[in-house]
Amino acid sequence: MKEMFRYGFILALICIIAAGLLSGANTLTRAKIAAQALAEEQSALKEVMPEAAKFAEVKPGQEILYYKALDSQDNLIGFVFKASGKGYSSVIETLAGMFPDGKISAIKVVSLNETPGLGMRVTENSFTRQFNKEDALSLSGVQAITGATISSKAVMNSVIKKAQETKELIKNEK
Amino acid sequence: MKSLIKEFTKGIIKENPTFVLVLGLCPTLAVSVSVANGIGMGIAATFVLLGSSIIVSLVRDFIPDKIRIPCYIVIIATFVTIAELCMKAYSPALDRSLGIYVPLIVVNCIVLGRAEAFACKNNLASAFWDGLGMGVGFTLALILISAIREFLGSGQILGHTLFKGFEPVFVFGMPSGALLVIGLLLGFFNLLKNRKI
Repeated sequence: MKEMFRYGFILALICIIAAGLLSGANTLTRAKIAAQALAEEQSALKEVMPEAAKFAEVKPGQEILYYKALDSQDNLIGFVFKASGKGYSSVIETLAGMFPDGKISAIKVVSLNETPGLGMRVTENSFTRQFNKEDALSLSGVQAITGATISSKAVMNSVIKKAQETKELIKNEK
Repeated sequence: MKSLIKEFTKGIIKENPTFVLVLGLCPTLAVSVSVANGIGMGIAATFVLLGSSIIVSLVRDFIPDKIRIPCYIVIIATFVTIAELCMKAYSPALDRSLGIYVPLIVVNCIVLGRAEAFACKNNLASAFWDGLGMGVGFTLALILISAIREFLGSGQILGHTLFKGFEPVFVFGMPSGALLVIGLLLGFFNLLKNRKI
């Protein structure tokens, strides 16, 4: 019985020291990690809407609904939204830029974990390039990748769905 | 001093964690697609090995035998989390390409294996050099495997194309290619060992 308490005490002591060290490491790196995430987000936004000078978050609640893309004179030139859909083995997240007339500017697949050599190819330029200048609600000119239909469709359908939602939101705003 | 040098060098060739002890193969198979990944993983694992070996050696008289494993795991997990936070803050691209394999260093058997087999029985200096040697040995093994795989699988080394017109052998970028390369290297190292005797 006495042994049990001694062991528990030693283990607790080690855990307390470890927790202290970790909170220290977290405090030191937290600001830097947040800055990295922000820089990454901005560069991804820039990729799908290269014409824009800056982006403004539209965030009425907890979640970011979409971004407004503004040019250097603060004129609205388009919108950027993040779509997500279930692929073959993971949730595929895609960032898409849309002009006010409903045409896609470009897309970028930002997070996925699909089969290497098949589903993973949705990140390749030869696939994502097809979205440029397509109508966001139909994407009729986009061909799925051979052997990776589920992953390709996941990207396309999630973009279409999110484009519809975003269009509704934009309408309400105006 | 001589014995300390021996503790360091044994991890590199004679007791190389990957090719001789055959420990920690899961992350080795998974991350060795590119040399940059291999170096990043090697450095992170070396940091964890070094840190945990030092601490385990320092507290070896304080930790009762019966609860040593949970204690080691807490110590190792602390170092892994620190390494992961640093990587996220200073090298997000590397963090993304290594993914889940950084937190999985916690259960890498090289780290726990050295704590259990060496650091808990030896003094600080020996444990330090043993940890460093093992880390360097693991890093070199990763670099060797990933260099072969990156070259054959994509025709590149560290992202630079070496030859024009080289058609990459796709399978070396896949897990099956990793098994192939590691198997052949293990056979090669065994051959070297048997020749010497």
